[in-house]
Formats: sequence, C-alpha cells, structure tokens
Amino acid sequence: MTNSGNLQLTENGELRHFLTPEGLDRLMLERILDTADSFVVIGNQEVKKVPLLRGRTVVNLFFENSTRTRSTFELAAKRLSADVLTLDIKTSATSKGESLLDTLQNLRAMHSDMFVVRHSDSGAAHFIASQVTPDVAIINAGDGRHAHPTQAMLDMLTIRRHKGKFESLSVAIVGDILHSRVARDQVHALKILGCSDIRLVGPNTLMPQAITSMGVTTHKNMDSGIDGVDVVIMLRLQTERMDSAFLPSAGEYFRLYGLTTERLAQAKPDAIVMHPGPINRGIEIESAVADGPQSMILHQVGYGIALRMAVMSMAMSGQMQQRHAKAVNPLSLEREPQP
Amino acid sequence: MSIVIRGARLIDPSKQLDQVTDLHIKDHYIEAIGDLTGVNADTEIDAKGMILSPSFIDLHTCLRDLNQIQKGTIASETRAAASAGFTHLCTSPDTQPCSDAGSVINMVKNKAAAAGFCDLLPVAALTKDLKGAQLSNMESLSGAGCIGFSNASYDISNNTVLLRCYEYAATFGLKVFVQAQDQQLGSGQMHAGPTATRMGLDGIPVIAETLAISRHLQFMQHTGVSGHFNQLTSAAGVALIREAKAQGMKVTADVGIAHLCFTDTAVQGYHSQYHVQPPLREESDRKALLVGIVDGTLDAICSAHQPHESAAKCAPFAATASGMATYDMLVPLIQKLVDAGDLTWALAIQALSCNSATIALRKMTSLTLGEEANLTLIDPNYHWTLNSSSQLSHGTNQALANQQLKARVKLTIKAGHISYKV
Repeated sequence: MTNSGNLQLTENGELRHFLTPEGLDRLMLERILDTADSFVVIGNQEVKKVPLLRGRTVVNLFFENSTRTRSTFELAAKRLSADVLTLDIKTSATSKGESLLDTLQNLRAMHSDMFVVRHSDSGAAHFIASQVTPDVAIINAGDGRHAHPTQAMLDMLTIRRHKGKFESLSVAIVGDILHSRVARDQVHALKILGCSDIRLVGPNTLMPQAITSMGVTTHKNMDSGIDGVDVVIMLRLQTERMDSAFLPSAGEYFRLYGLTTERLAQAKPDAIVMHPGPINRGIEIESAVADGPQSMILHQVGYGIALRMAVMSMAMSGQMQQRHAKAVNPLSLEREPQP
Repeated sequence: MSIVIRGARLIDPSKQLDQVTDLHIKDHYIEAIGDLTGVNADTEIDAKGMILSPSFIDLHTCLRDLNQIQKGTIASETRAAASAGFTHLCTSPDTQPCSDAGSVINMVKNKAAAAGFCDLLPVAALTKDLKGAQLSNMESLSGAGCIGFSNASYDISNNTVLLRCYEYAATFGLKVFVQAQDQQLGSGQMHAGPTATRMGLDGIPVIAETLAISRHLQFMQHTGVSGHFNQLTSAAGVALIREAKAQGMKVTADVGIAHLCFTDTAVQGYHSQYHVQPPLREESDRKALLVGIVDGTLDAICSAHQPHESAAKCAPFAATASGMATYDMLVPLIQKLVDAGDLTWALAIQALSCNSATIALRKMTSLTLGEEANLTLIDPNYHWTLNSSSQLSHGTNQALANQQLKARVKLTIKAGHISYKV
C-alpha cells in the first residue's frame, strides 16, 4: 500500500484528494458510487446544474493531451457551478520539476481550490498533493502509467449499475496492461469492492512484472481468459507499441486478442463489454461488438460526468473541512516537509 | 605533533587485531600500541567504548564541484567523507566536465589537496567524454595519478570499442572499473518488481545487471585485465562474481551502502530520496549482498555518495535525479547492520578499509608500528539526529533526514593529522 491512502483523507477520514483507489476502503468507494448515482439522475433533468461548488475555483491542469477526459471534467465542474479554468501546459523536457512547481505555486496564489491534474509522469498528482499544494484538493486525471482513478471508478459505476454486486462477478481486463493506468486502478477498485475473480489477458510483453501480487490471475489465451466472465474490459492499444517491439503487428494482435462477436460468446450470455475509449475499431474490438447490445461504451461516457461530479464535490468538501480545522491560510507558501 | 588515543577497541582484520588498548601517533606515524600509561602527547583522546580502525577508502563517490557546485563542492564533500571515516576517495569519472583529461584530474586533485580532508584516487574515463567511441589517454591519465578507468553508468555498446578498451588497459596493466548495468534495459526508474508495477514506474530487471556482468567478465577473461565491479545490487549478480572468483579470475566487486540497507519498497509513496541508480532491489537481494560481504564474494562497501540540491529531488519521481547523499549516514547504517547481526565491525572494516585499499592499488593502511597514521575512531553508542545543522554534505538528498541515528565517527586521522573531529 502506498502512503497515498492517508494522504487522500482528512483527519476525519473524509476524501480531500483523489489520487488512486488504492488505500481507500470499501465504504469510501461505495460512497463515491452512491454520490455518483445521485448525479446520474441530475444529468437526466432539464436543468443540470447544482450549486455545490459555487464560488470555488477549479483549475484543469493538463500537462498531457486529452480531449475526452478534459471535457468531462470541465463539464462536471460547470454542472457543480464552479469557476473553471482549463490550462494545457506542455512540459519542458529539461526542467519539468521546476516548471511544475512554479506553475502550481502561481495558481495556488490565485486562490485556486482544486486542481484536476493530468501528467505523463507516474506519481505527479501524488507529488503535488504531498509536497506542492497540500491545501488545494487534487484530483488525479491520469498520471503516467500509475493511476486514472476517475476512469476506474466510472467503470465500477457502470458495472454496479448493470451487473449489481461485485462479489459474484468475474471480470476480464484485456490488452495492454503494462502501459495502462486504468487497468491498475480497476484492479484496486475491484478488489476493494469485493470482486475476487479478476483476470488480466494479454501477451507477456504487455504484462507488468509480478502483477499477480495484486491478487489477479494472468491469461495468455483470450478464449480461456474471458471464458464465463460477466464483464469484459478492453483496453486501448496505442499504435506506437508496434514500433517499440511490444507487438509484431496490429493484425496479429487483433487475431489473438481482439474482441469479436464469436469470441464474446465465450463469456456469459449477459456479459457486458466496456472500453475506456477512444476505441480502435478492428485493432482491439470489432465494430459489431463496440456498437452491439452488450456494449456499455457510451453509458460509460455519461457516467463519467456524474462520477467526476461526485469526486469533485466530495474532495472539495473534505478539503474545506481540513482547511477550517487546521485554520490553514490558503495563501501561506509554507510547504509540508518532504518525506 | 603527537596524539594518544586511550582505551579504544583497536580492530584491524589485516593483522587479526581486536584488542582494547592505547595508540600513540608521533610525527605522522604510529609510534606505539599498547598500555601507554605515563606517555604524554599534545592531544589526548579518551576513547573508551570506541572503535579505532585503519581509515576508510571509498571505491565509488561523486564529488560534484566544477560545473555542479549547486550540488556540492570538493571541499564540502571531502569534509563529509572525512566525517564518515574516509581518508582516500576513488572518484567517479562522470564529473562535469568529464574526467577524461589530465587537466581535469589535476584540478580536482588540487582542490581536494587544498581542502585537506581526503586524498583523491581518481578513476578516469575509459573513453573520451564517456561516449564509448574513442579511447581516453589511459597511460597518461595513469601517470597523472588515476588508479583505474571506467565508463561510469554509460554503456559501451560497440563490442569492438570495448575490446580495444580492455586490450589497451591490459597493455599497461591498468584496472577497469565497471558499473554493471545494461543501459537500454536500465532505462527505467526502479527495480522491476511488485512495487514498480503498483506505482506505474518503469522497472529495471535484474538481467540488466547480470547481462552486463557476464559481458564484462568475458572481456576481462579474454584480455587478462584486472576488473572491479562497482555497486552490485542483486543476488544473481553476486552469484556471477562468486563463480568468476571460483574460476580464479582476477575480479573484485563492491556494494553501495544503500543497497546493503534499503530495498525497493522504500520507494513506495514516490519517495524520491530512494531513487538511485542502479536501483534498490528486493529483500532477498539485500540478504544475498550481505552474505556476499560475509563470505568475501563482495570485497568492499562503497558510499556511492551522490549529493543533490533540493530541486533535483522535488518533482514527480521519474523527473527526479537519481542518487543519495550517503556520507552523513554511512557509519550509523553500518552500526544498524551490526546491531541486526548482519555484519560485525571487523567485517565492515575489512570491506571499508583493508580490501578497498588493495583494490585502489594503494598500500594497505594498518594498525602497525611505524606505519603512516591513517585512522578512524568511531563511537558506536553516540546518539544524534541527522538534520541540516548536523549534516556535513551539501546534498539535501538525505534519506534519513530528521531521524535519530546511532554511531558516529569521532575522529579521522589522515597522515598523522586530524582531518575531522566531532
């Protein structure tokens, strides 16, 4: 377990940053899902706004390109009535550390209340929450190949809404586990929520070292990997993986690990198919499956906004409580000691 | 000038000496050992409960300075080394500018001589600018006082060039130091294992080390060069050295203090102070490294001291500089291993002093009458806190910052003079 378990919570056990599900307990994850459920309802109303973050400033800091995640966070913040600033910041290869520190401290001095951070380095959100701006709520929108907790939790929301209890479910996660920040957080979240049959499917080149230590089984063969499962989660395959010798070709990959209608028949008849998107049709998933009746892909997008609203409102509330409890001056430029 | 150290436990494994007694230094040399009641000196030191040993020789350290004074100066880091009991330091060639020219070597040595804390035994670059293409002027550099040649952490990927390096070194009987890690497989940030997987950091597999060791052993065997491996990290690496020694090869190896004491799990929580290269590995590797010291497979313990300024460690993990400032915590860490029953002080002194002196092609310092006095006096029961006011290195990358530590060097004597005193 990483230190982030404690770092993410206030002294009273409320969420103040959301960096990874790892280290949080089942009750907390269920609260996130329950809160998100209530926001799903709001999304269906004519007026979709609630005033939970009125007067608060949310800054979306995207050090790495992303359209979908960025726009759902922006929409979520706006539906919570926050003032939203979205910044696309290219990282400087030579002085990443300094520029990150300086950027954040400047934004903090502008009375920002929440940073939504996407960064190409694993641990970036953790670094910001622990060492740079601990009194600003940090939502991790993806750090390197470490974590993407809101994506993992919206997947949990999708599973819970469509399959019910986690204890009895078998879940297969297929594809590029090695480079996937989503897969790691899905595994953490599934374990915490009680799922005991988690199968990771892919070739050895895309499987991280010692991954079974996370309480999963690994499968080289797709057919046996998804045999009888309730949920199939397909991961996006970056085309550059072929250039860096992880895989020989997209064609061979699709033949071995692509999800086709025929292959999906190995899973339970009522199995659902998920994908964090954007999908590569014909590389990891056949169009007939992606657009088929078992596909949850578009539901996931809708739930993404609700889930992000839930996490943002909970973390903001926790962070405000912590600020009041500690009477921290938000403009104080004192930093917590380094670990 | 004369010094009498009274009531210390004198340990010198090279002389099978382990005895509580007195030692007298006069005019740079050891004048007397034994009961010195009645002998007077300019400086009297009551050393009851303390350990007196031959001084330490560091086989791998980075002193910064030159173009990196924000990380440390030769004066600050050699003083920190003296505070860890060292009198002689083998410096890594990856200085800025690179230690591939006599002028750089002389400048570094002169700075150290002016500071007066430690003598330098530089390891020069094996290839020009460490680029792995052209040979450095090895013979001239040897004449300038370099005790060996290394390409630091930079691989020489071209086998023809590497063969020429070994052949040229063999011509003049020069020693080659190797930091055994395949550069491509070593491009990650920490040991490839469960912790790296959970944290989403790029892993460095053990084969990055074993592949490089096997490769260099082949070149050493082929050319007859006497080789030394710096900073082993893995059980499999130790096994390869053990096998090479059993075959009668002229090969030696050391381990960094960090690898003897910490494992990859210390990185959890993205603690950049534990971002080191080569990486900290698993507990089974750490145990194998300790066994290597005990059974003599590993000859020496080095500091692998690498000071950094605070900004170098203040970033997301992958963007932080690797390396740990180790001088301030070296003796407390050895004491911790002794307290845990993993090591004895006699073994530690063998590894920090006797064996490293032999490897550095230096006459062994010993507690012998008439020898030049190069000594380290350690108080194993001294309790102190490592913090910005007690540390001597300029490096802020102190893994044990603000922790209570036990044991400290009380006195270091270089050529009969006190180079450090608490």
